[in-house]
Amino acid sequence: MNSTALVMMIVVCGAVWGGFAVLLIRALRSESAKKKETG
Amino acid sequence: MSQGEQFGSRWGLILATLGMAVGTGNIWRFPRIVASNGGGSFLVAWVVFLLLWSVPLMIVEFSFGKNSRMGAIGAFTRMAGKNFAWMGGWVALCATAIMFYYSVVAGWCIRYLAASLSGELANMPQGGLWESYAGSWTAVGTHAVAMGLGIAVVWHGVRGIERVAKVLIPGLFILVVILAIRAVTLPGAAAGLEFLFTPDWAKLGEVQIWLQALTQNAWDTGPGWGLILTYAIYMRVREDVPLNAFLIGFGNNSVSLLAGIMVLCTVFAVNPGAREAIVGAGNYGLTFEWMPVLFRSIPAGQIFMVFFFLALTFAAVTSLISMLELATRVLIDSGVRRKSAILWVGGAGLLFGAPSALSLTVLGNQDWVWGVGLMLSGLFFSLAARKFGLERLRKDVVNAEGADLQVGRWWVFIVGVLVPVEAVTLMIWWLWGAAQGEGSWNPLSAGSAGTVLAQWTVALVALLLLNRFLAGRCSGESREQEIVEGA
Repeated sequence: MNSTALVMMIVVCGAVWGGFAVLLIRALRSESAKKKETG
Repeated sequence: MSQGEQFGSRWGLILATLGMAVGTGNIWRFPRIVASNGGGSFLVAWVVFLLLWSVPLMIVEFSFGKNSRMGAIGAFTRMAGKNFAWMGGWVALCATAIMFYYSVVAGWCIRYLAASLSGELANMPQGGLWESYAGSWTAVGTHAVAMGLGIAVVWHGVRGIERVAKVLIPGLFILVVILAIRAVTLPGAAAGLEFLFTPDWAKLGEVQIWLQALTQNAWDTGPGWGLILTYAIYMRVREDVPLNAFLIGFGNNSVSLLAGIMVLCTVFAVNPGAREAIVGAGNYGLTFEWMPVLFRSIPAGQIFMVFFFLALTFAAVTSLISMLELATRVLIDSGVRRKSAILWVGGAGLLFGAPSALSLTVLGNQDWVWGVGLMLSGLFFSLAARKFGLERLRKDVVNAEGADLQVGRWWVFIVGVLVPVEAVTLMIWWLWGAAQGEGSWNPLSAGSAGTVLAQWTVALVALLLLNRFLAGRCSGESREQEIVEGA
């Protein structure tokens, strides 16, 4: 695989999958904080 | 709203909404479109429009559903005023018309899942099953099976939808990840990755790439369909809007990317010489004619073929459920009980979907007419949000108590200015393309501009004439009146 494709793969997959993972972690933390508040 | 009419948890809402967003378009359309539009360059435009179309409109839909607690027609009436009920009617009509033929598509997936499980596909010549099955009465039967499954889930209300989503969506993610890992580990798969990710920067100067990327976002992430609005009715009171919208947008596109890797790596590893024929075979050709042949050529291909059609079935059924719930909710708002409403919706779906099951031309026509109609739906959401007041919506609903992210004024600009420009540009581009060539204005020609305009005109005139009735009937007013009179 050429280097441009490799860089592009890292950037696009990083943005999409990385973005999804970060958002998921943020939602998990928020839910756990809300549970502590109410519980 | 009773506890039974709410999602039990945030994860229930997120998984159900992801089920709505992830459909067959992620698996069979995205890989083809990315392959025929410059690979890496297309991906750049696709990520840009995730942020300039999909997520901002998802935020609008979430806030409409959460604030109004009503289906598409009632939400437009309550948020924008009685004169906007017809716009909500358009949104509901578009999604319902798509539901009619989408059930047929879900039936195809079920049929191919059964054929892959039984080993029927193992020795079939390429396209053998498709030729005998598509457009036959068997397709009507599988359409009925898919519709029956959808009715059974929606019958149990939002808790039924939540229970099913909690099983099918994690299952879908796992299956797609397994298939993508299998594809990238095939000998020769690197060529597929190279093809998918190598950018052709010159292509970024072509308008078509950007419009295709915007279209892919409009069709496969689900904003502007009214489906997110419908699920948002059942959000808990102190539920977040912005983070959920971002999560669903990125989650949906994560599946698309995995599907692109899975399909293109498999094609390049197994039959690189036929890649143009495969990519150019259309959604049905790629999925139902080529994929079984490709899977047969890889070790343990039978198992992966089952996984592929199982993933496709999960994606189709969860999206179908959301479309059934949308139409059911509109009837519930007008005073019909849920169980009667779902039977009416399911019966109509069976009846009006049957022509699409029997004829690919009819199905193609409906897909074309209402697919482009979704862009008008997106425009209507923007206009209704403007009427409500975008700044008011942002402060009072989107960024209200419980929000995990605060949305800035950029969102007001995107929804108020960019979304209308994008929607109008897309509609003109698609209709202009269809208007080239002979018979392009013939309303009886399946893929013409004329058929779109003719069917839209009939629908819009009817909705405008019925506006007053819709505003009264579907916004809860009539029921409130009945209660007052009864008292």
